[in-house]
Amino acid sequence: MCCSLNIEDRQVPAGKPEAFDISAVKGMKFFDPHVHMTSRTTDDYQAMADAGVVALIEPAFWLGQPRTGVDSFKDYYSSLVGWERFRSSQFGIKHYCTIGLNSREANNEALAEQVMEVLPLFIYKDGVVGIGEIGFDDQTAAEDKYYRAQLELAKEAGLPVQIHTPHRDKKRGTQRSMDIAIEHGLDPYMVIIDHNNEETVKEVLDRGFWAAFTIYPFTKMGNQRMVEIVKQYGSERIMINSAADWGISDPLAVPKTAALMKLNGISEKDIELVTYSNAITAFSQSGQIDEADFAVSVDQSAKFEGNTVLRGGQQPRIDKSSIIIS
Amino acid sequence: MNGFGYNIEALNAVLAEVIEGSISPVAWAWFKQVDTNNTTAFYGAFAMMPRKTGKAVIDISAEQKDILNTIRPGFTIDNWATDRLCRVWLLIQPDIDKGKYFRQIENLFTTGEMKELVALYSALPVLPYPELWVKRCAEGIRSNIGLVLEAIMYRNPYPAERLDEGAWNQLIMKALFTDKQMHLITGLDERNNPELVCILIDFAKERWAAGRTVDPALWDIAAKFTEAGLLNEMKQGHWESAGAI
Repeated sequence: MCCSLNIEDRQVPAGKPEAFDISAVKGMKFFDPHVHMTSRTTDDYQAMADAGVVALIEPAFWLGQPRTGVDSFKDYYSSLVGWERFRSSQFGIKHYCTIGLNSREANNEALAEQVMEVLPLFIYKDGVVGIGEIGFDDQTAAEDKYYRAQLELAKEAGLPVQIHTPHRDKKRGTQRSMDIAIEHGLDPYMVIIDHNNEETVKEVLDRGFWAAFTIYPFTKMGNQRMVEIVKQYGSERIMINSAADWGISDPLAVPKTAALMKLNGISEKDIELVTYSNAITAFSQSGQIDEADFAVSVDQSAKFEGNTVLRGGQQPRIDKSSIIIS
Repeated sequence: MNGFGYNIEALNAVLAEVIEGSISPVAWAWFKQVDTNNTTAFYGAFAMMPRKTGKAVIDISAEQKDILNTIRPGFTIDNWATDRLCRVWLLIQPDIDKGKYFRQIENLFTTGEMKELVALYSALPVLPYPELWVKRCAEGIRSNIGLVLEAIMYRNPYPAERLDEGAWNQLIMKALFTDKQMHLITGLDERNNPELVCILIDFAKERWAAGRTVDPALWDIAAKFTEAGLLNEMKQGHWESAGAI
């Protein structure tokens, strides 16, 4: 969940940008552990697959405007494990999700109560790798209440937790999120604190939590700053994501940042950890991630009549540079 | 629970045999202790199936296939993954009243994950009260998830047995439109009808006008209600001489 600024407020930095040269990281595999694909086009899926993204996690979040009924939540959660999962598979990208009641909508208490009732229907489903994204936005009493309730749910289900940290009063909001998680008896190793920055990272790592960084223009991390973070803190328990959504964001943030790290002399091992393996290690504590599933051709259940062609059909390519649409 | 149009005990016995031969003893022990009359346990087991049973392809003998086909003609489970078969088996276990059963199954459909939906639609031919699932089957044909469509269309005897002509014709059109393997559709020939052929020929003409090809299977279906000479003209794009313009 991103975007607290208006588009008009944004200043595009002057100067000629460096071109993204994928060849720096050609052949590498990437895992984007936070990206809202329901808001993205098939072009994005295609570009992500081309850039080496083999799997992703789509956290349940706010849709840009508040929902007014529990069925809207139910349909949204269903789409995360149904239609969106299929859409992703057509591009050879393995789609996982986290399920939860986001902090903004926790403030509608009457509705939040009903949402809490349907959550158990979804959290045990195949490919649900955590409770998320939950945490604080405004840091209200209602947010506190449903954050705690969902931590208990995660504990009961043995699932990792993906925590959104607020834009405003970020440092204290992040500290408070961690304090409450520990108060509820969660192992910090099961908790991924998201949207970190230079101000929050040290404490998150020192306390044993996973530190996720969102590479998102204007409001979150830029990837040059990210390179400096990895230089300073190394690669242990650090992961990056795009959190690409309906705002101005970049679904290629993970491969682009990997390329920038490579150009800045960060070792391939460290790049692999922060752009692929760490996220898998953290979220596979759900028991729901099997790297063998990333390559669709080795998924036995995807075979039909001994044919390894993906059932349901791989999407055909179109030539975007052509004026002709046939 | 009554309402099965076939010998449920016999089907249960052979499916149990196949499942026991396909999953680990630990998974089998877990499976047998699930209280399928308890709604929460039933939903939970359905959702958790792959993590308990794995997703390998089932082991089934030629003899078991024959027995299955004798008990429930047209029902096949060849090449199914174990989690799919185990879910289908789970769905026919509850011994509860009809209204409650219907609500539970509908709830699973409306909250279904992709492979859960595949299992649910695959189960249509063996669910009790077959008359209850006609609308659900027609709804499934509106899905755009390839795997779900295939679960309804391929080697599934339920649609041909239960759908009315409109819904059946929609299934065939959707299959052609989404490049499905037409020969895998159960009842393709038996349910063929003049209205369907009109729809197919109209589609072929539209494709021809757009400079696109059609699956040759379309002509095989159309042949039943179309004079051979006309069909040949149309196949070659001579719509005027076929009198279809």
